[in-house]
This record gives sequence, structure tokens and C-alpha cells, in this order.
Amino acid sequence: MSNRIEVHHVTRVEGHGNIIVEMDNGKFKDCRFEIVETPRFFEAMLRGRPYGEASHITSRICGICATGHAVTSLQATENALGVKPSEQTRYLRKLTFNGEILDSHILHVYMLVAPDFFGVGSIIPLATTHREVVLRALKMKKLSGDICAVVSGRHTHPIAMTVGGFTHFAKPEELEDLRERCIEIRQDVDATVELFASLPWPKFERETEYVSLTNPSEYAFVSGEIMTSDGGRYPLKDYKKLTNEFLVRHSSGKHTRHKRDSYMVGALARLNNNYEQLHPRAKAAAEALGLKPLVTNPYLNSAAQVVEIVHCIEDSIEVIDHLLELGVKKEEPAKPSRNSGDGVGVCEVPRGMLIHHYTIGEDGLITDANCIIPTNQNLANIEVDMHTLMPKIESKPHDDIRLDLEMLVRAYDPCISCSVHVMDVEDLKD
Amino acid sequence: MAGQSDSGKHQKERMTLILGFGNPLHGDDGVGAYAVQMLNARSLPTNVKVRDAGTPGFGLVSEIEGWDRVILIDAIRMGRSPGSWRRFNPDEVRLLAADGFLSLHQPGLANSLALAQALNLLPKEIIFFGIEPIGTDLFDDINPIASNSVEEVVNHILNEL
Repeated sequence: MSNRIEVHHVTRVEGHGNIIVEMDNGKFKDCRFEIVETPRFFEAMLRGRPYGEASHITSRICGICATGHAVTSLQATENALGVKPSEQTRYLRKLTFNGEILDSHILHVYMLVAPDFFGVGSIIPLATTHREVVLRALKMKKLSGDICAVVSGRHTHPIAMTVGGFTHFAKPEELEDLRERCIEIRQDVDATVELFASLPWPKFERETEYVSLTNPSEYAFVSGEIMTSDGGRYPLKDYKKLTNEFLVRHSSGKHTRHKRDSYMVGALARLNNNYEQLHPRAKAAAEALGLKPLVTNPYLNSAAQVVEIVHCIEDSIEVIDHLLELGVKKEEPAKPSRNSGDGVGVCEVPRGMLIHHYTIGEDGLITDANCIIPTNQNLANIEVDMHTLMPKIESKPHDDIRLDLEMLVRAYDPCISCSVHVMDVEDLKD
Repeated sequence: MAGQSDSGKHQKERMTLILGFGNPLHGDDGVGAYAVQMLNARSLPTNVKVRDAGTPGFGLVSEIEGWDRVILIDAIRMGRSPGSWRRFNPDEVRLLAADGFLSLHQPGLANSLALAQALNLLPKEIIFFGIEPIGTDLFDDINPIASNSVEEVVNHILNEL
């Protein structure tokens, strides 16, 4: 039997990563998750650009989390320049953010995760055997995209969001239509919960440190402070005390750690940290899926995404109600209160905590930028999981080991191509 | 979604959607977008809609659902002479849809059409206009030969409508 188990370019994840396991006479010896993407240089692109361009440039970091990057970028700029967005702006951003969380989670659970449980390689064979499941996924995905389009101008890479506000304003009849469709889609959401509650999730427990935003007044996606399940809160500006990025030889994406060897971000971390703020219907879904904090099975990150699908539909209905009550008005963006500054924005994008940090000079040009993407922060945790899991499954046939490890990586919904940002190779030690 | 007119009564009024694909920032990859611009500048029958589809991924499945006839214009590598164009329908080619494709950043036209086919949502009539790209590097302008082909394709489509 070969002493090496390899998965070259894990499929059904964003970007390119390899799983390498070293065996010695059937016993597990070592493993690693190699990230083989090239750096993207977005931070370098931002330097010297006017601050107003930052959200449009960084939105291109990702075709899935474009809204997440845009909102986080706007927050960083607004915190740097002392901009206070209006209530209307904050609610419109929440709504379009929900649209993107829904879109990404629906894609992930239905198109990337579900095929594993049905024993097929992609959603295309599933379309023949489980037509209604795929049609449901496409219908839900369409609504998510339409939420983003109505609020921020188009499905992906929003064009209507600007520093301090919006340049395009959703019409009441458009919001009413979205509201009606959110109500109508509840039956599809319920069917989604039922489907994923019936799946045989792999059994594997490993407690880790769970990190997310937290906010006593809402399930935190776009506002709050940084919280770790090990106890402790950090204001946004102190994010580096938590992330502590470092380089490893086998990954072009940096790893992070706090007090343990690794920590986890994403839907499961949010659910563990902020369960109480979930909408009651989402809590009921969590119960149906068997999720009650503290959930320590990383495979259930995908199940936690299903819970967030329920939450985001319900929250969207409430946000739309509030916007209709406010009456969406054409308004000028809130103005900066200073010309230069340093600011951090942090949001919970589909895959976890996203950080943008900008320094803006007196001339309005960005002089420094740092973006830390959720997948980076999960890389070390995925490896610790793999090290803990392997001794338990080492006697399985190699194909089964491969599938278990691939499913583990997929559960984190990694966006590998986005995780590779500015690198400082001088840090590398032998 | 388009009105699904009953085809017996409106034989000549088939609801037709023309979609141009591609990214004009990548040279000839944007031929579909250029074709859409040209078509929008011409007068079109009322049963015809033209859209710049960009790079829609699986969103294409909902986009084409319910139309009687869909015309797709894209840069396609067909092994023909650079810049030339060809009209064909799905029966004449094999759509190379990969099982277990790598990423949702990449479900191309073939994968999306395969999904629509598996769901039995393909329109009755699908016509491709493929233009063999010459250069698709970032910030390339469209090649004059490809640009000429776009104009020929647009004229051909207008005659066919």
C-alpha cells in the first residue's frame, strides 16, 4: 500500500488546494493542506488610489463575496474618515448583505456539499435524479441574487454602494415584491432544513476556539466587536492581537492563531457564539439539524449555513418591513468629518470574519491596506482537524480516507483563491 | 422569464432571447458583449430581447428558461481559423461539461447548459454563434478580424430573425 495519500486540487471548493497525507506501514505519520494559488496583490493595488475606489476594487477579490468585501471596505474607509452612515444606509446594507449570505450558502450546501451525500461528482447528475432539489436551489439562488440587484444595482460586484451611502435607491414596489417572495420561499427553506437534517453527517468532534463578531442587539454580520469562545472581546482596531498571521512553507495563504494552535471562523463559529441572537425560526431549524452550542463537529459548518439561510430570509423580511416603514428616500451620502485617518472594517461574510484595514493620507489617497480573508484564518484549523481525524480513520481504504478529508475541507467552504494576500517572504524560517 | 406563448398560434412570433457572453476586458473574449451593443443599436422585432449575459454561471439556467428560442453569441475555441465564425446548434457539437468541475468561479456555458438540459429546461431551439478568439489577454482590444466577424454575425442574426 502506498505511503502517501494525495488529493490534487480538491474539487468543489473555490480555488486550488492539495491534501497530502504521509503514511508509514498503514499508520498515519503526517499531513498538510497545501495552498498553491499565487498572491493576488490587491493591497498593493489599493495603495495610491483615491479612497472612493477602494470598495469597487476590493469587491473584485471575490465573485461570491463581492458585497461582503464592498461593505467591509466601506466600513474601513468610514471608520478612517469619521463618516456616520444614516439608518437607511445601514438597513439597505444589511439587506444586500443578507442576499449575498443566502446566495453563497445556497450554492455551497446544494451544489458543493450535497453531491457528496448523494454519491455523485457534481450537481449535474443530481439534476436528473433529484430534479426538485436542484430546482429549489436555483429558485432560492435567484431570489438571493435579486435582493442584491434591487438594493445595490446588480447581482454581484455592487455598483450602488458608496462611502457614506447609496447612489441608487430601491423602490417601495421592488421591496414589497422581495418581501412577498421571501414569505413564499419559506416552504423551500423548510424543505431545505428537512433535507439537510436527514443527511448522515460524518461524526467527528474536536473542540477549537470559535471566533466571530458579536453584537447583543442582532445576529452579527455587519456590526459588533470581535469575540472568541475562549473568552475575550476585541475592538475591531485590535484585530491583529487575534489574527497573528504567520507563514508556513506549504501554503501561499498565511495561517493565523490566537491562544491555541488554530481557531475557526464561519457559520459554525457564529452559531456557537451568537446562538441567542438567531431568529426563532432559525433556532427551530438548528434544533431540527441537531445543533445546540457548543457544536464541535466541523463537518456541521455546512449545517450551520442552513440555519443561517433560515435566519437571513426572516431577517430580510424584518429589514424590508423597517425600510418600508422608514420610506426609502433619495439621500446624499454622509460626509467625512476629517480628511485622513486609519480605519478598520470587520464583517461576517459567508465564510467567516473578514477584515479590511486602510490608512488614508491628507490627499485622500490610500497609503496602506491590509485585507485578511476568512479562509486564511481557517487554514491552520483545517490542518489540526486533519491531524486529529487521521489516526481515527487510518485503517480505512485510501479512497474513503480521501473522501473524508475532502469533505472536511469542503465543510469549511474555503475560498482559496481569495485567501492569498500580500506575502512577506523574509519571515520564512527553515 | 418570457411569456410562453402557445406556439401553434404564434408560429412566427417565437419569443427569442439573444444573449452575448464574455468579458470585454479580455480582448476577443468580449465578442458577445460587442454583438449585444451592435444589436441594441439596430431596430429589432418586438418578440426579440437582447441581453449582455456577461459570465452568468448557473444563473444562465433561470435566464433561458421559458423562451422559445435562444441565440447565444460567445468566443468559442473550435479549432477554426482565428477570428472566423460559425453557426451551429447543440446537436452538432458535444458540450464538454465536466463532472466534478473545480469551482463555482468556473461553471462555464457548457456546464450551465448541461444543468439546464438535465433539468429539462432547455428552450426548444438553441443556436450558437461562435467566434474563434485571437487574443484574450487582459486589457487587449478586440482584434479587427474578430470585430469584423461580430458584425457579420449580427447581420446574419438580423436576417434570420
